[in-house]
Amino acid sequence: MQLYLPVAEMSANVFIFLAMGGAVGFLSGMFGVGGGFLMTPLLIFAGIPAAVAVGTETAQILASSVSGALAQWRRRNVDVKMGAVLLAGGLVGSTIGVGLVGVLRRVGVFDVFVAACYVTFLGVIGTLMMIESTNTIRQTRSGRIVSGRRPGQHNWVHGLPLKMRFNRSKLYISAIPPLLLGFFVGLLAAIMGVGGGFIMVPAMIYLLRMPTNVVVGTSLFQIVFLTAATTVLHASQNYNVDVVLAMILMAGGVIGAQFGTVAGERLKGEQLRFLLAAFILAVCLRFAWQLIATPSELYTLGTSGSA
Amino acid sequence: MHERSRRNRLLAGLALLCMGLVTLGISETAAQQQRRKAPPPVAKESPRGSEPNIKREQQPGARESVEADVSARNVAVTSSFNGTEIVIFGAIDGSQQPSAESGFYDVIVVVEGVPSRLVVRRKGNVAGLWLNIASATFDNVPSYYAVASTRPIDEVAPEEFRSLHGVGLKHLKYTPAVGQSHPLSSEDITEYRDAVMRLKRKEGLYLDRPYGVIFTGKSIFRASILLPANVTVGPFDTRVYLFREEKLLSRFTVRLTLEREGLERHLHAFAYRLPTLYGIVTVMIAVGAGLLASTVFRKASH
Repeated sequence: MQLYLPVAEMSANVFIFLAMGGAVGFLSGMFGVGGGFLMTPLLIFAGIPAAVAVGTETAQILASSVSGALAQWRRRNVDVKMGAVLLAGGLVGSTIGVGLVGVLRRVGVFDVFVAACYVTFLGVIGTLMMIESTNTIRQTRSGRIVSGRRPGQHNWVHGLPLKMRFNRSKLYISAIPPLLLGFFVGLLAAIMGVGGGFIMVPAMIYLLRMPTNVVVGTSLFQIVFLTAATTVLHASQNYNVDVVLAMILMAGGVIGAQFGTVAGERLKGEQLRFLLAAFILAVCLRFAWQLIATPSELYTLGTSGSA
Repeated sequence: MHERSRRNRLLAGLALLCMGLVTLGISETAAQQQRRKAPPPVAKESPRGSEPNIKREQQPGARESVEADVSARNVAVTSSFNGTEIVIFGAIDGSQQPSAESGFYDVIVVVEGVPSRLVVRRKGNVAGLWLNIASATFDNVPSYYAVASTRPIDEVAPEEFRSLHGVGLKHLKYTPAVGQSHPLSSEDITEYRDAVMRLKRKEGLYLDRPYGVIFTGKSIFRASILLPANVTVGPFDTRVYLFREEKLLSRFTVRLTLEREGLERHLHAFAYRLPTLYGIVTVMIAVGAGLLASTVFRKASH
């Protein structure tokens, strides 16, 4: 069934995008991330203009995160105070990011910029996660007990001023690292069409040293508000949110996520991280190939407003 | 043990899913290409008829005159629009042609979309990466251009005529815009112009059909022209030229219009006219979809 996408201005097969949404939704439910780092590239690979893919995917992440965040909320896995601090930084980052998308699009380098961003961030994070999860799996196999939390250890984060108490996370740390983290994730969310979970979750664990049980819930909580704001900003400034495409992806994604959450509960944390790392690296390589391989056509056509 | 085999099965399922995802991306682009090849249905006249936009011109001294029309003057671009075929048919008044096959007359049909500004970007290798490093802006680039004729146009009409009237892909009059971002040499301009032509042809937006006009009787002829799915909406000028031994006898112009219709027309207008409200509505839809799914699945699992 063909449907014309009003903002992307192209006709698309509903079932293919529905299936894409479902598959990515499954994964996002399982890993507790927004799934944007998989969906946005897939949309771009499927021929959706890069900027429209980013703007539309932001709306879809919102839909898939709402149900996840609610589920975590009911299990009391959300640190609201931490979420609010992260969000404060996130909104500033998102505003700057959305403006940057507009500028890059007018200059005509947005698609290449997105590809470069994906290669850099996914490459670094995928490799780190891969190494970490492989080590954990190996250690578990050899019979050592791995403790998830090392409360006695302190790092540079604890030396900063502006300390705040985060009761739910059992933390007393400076507000500066969460603000900066939020800002950075907000910037990425706006530019790359991701929720930022793939950065937020590891950063919360390794940098802020939050207990793992509140990490996913808090991350989803701040993603909901961040993507809502980013969607409105994108729509009003860059005209790159396609509501028809978003609804197709939502329908697929929301259903897929429900099954993914159940599947995720059956897997061990390090196995999840290993799989996630594998996906991240696969997407990274695909984008790297696009940047490095000699293109068959050196020229592209566009109006002055799009990239 | 049981737990472990179940986990393995789950992992195998996931691996399959991953492979499926990657192939989906590839197959979709392939599907799009294939779709373009499949002949779309002939356009139907949309109910709202507009004022006929017709112009005829008779050469002094010519006994014959040509009249033509298109199969649909108003084509609706709805959500299922996947390209359309337009039939241009015409008749020669006072035809002296003995039969349809005699080749006594020549006809050229030109269908031209709205001229607009276009940016062409060129990739270059910078430190191993392929980036857009240069660009050129052209004015008056027709969004769509098709030329069909009874014989190759260089045998039908003299060069000066084709150049003057913009007949044939070679004679499209798009020009570099004033105020380029980079200074352009004349070789650059030629290269960019060629790129526009090549890419537009590849997308099916520029086409020539040297034998696309067929006489079906001694005075009637027809040509069918494909408007692909990615065509820009707007008015299209359809010009019909009647020739006899490289001399223009008569010409006729009729306009056809492609209009966006249905829900996505309103959505498009909404997104561009009230962008903030559109964004807020999108957010509400997203939150609603999430909440709905959450309640539905929560009930189902209890």
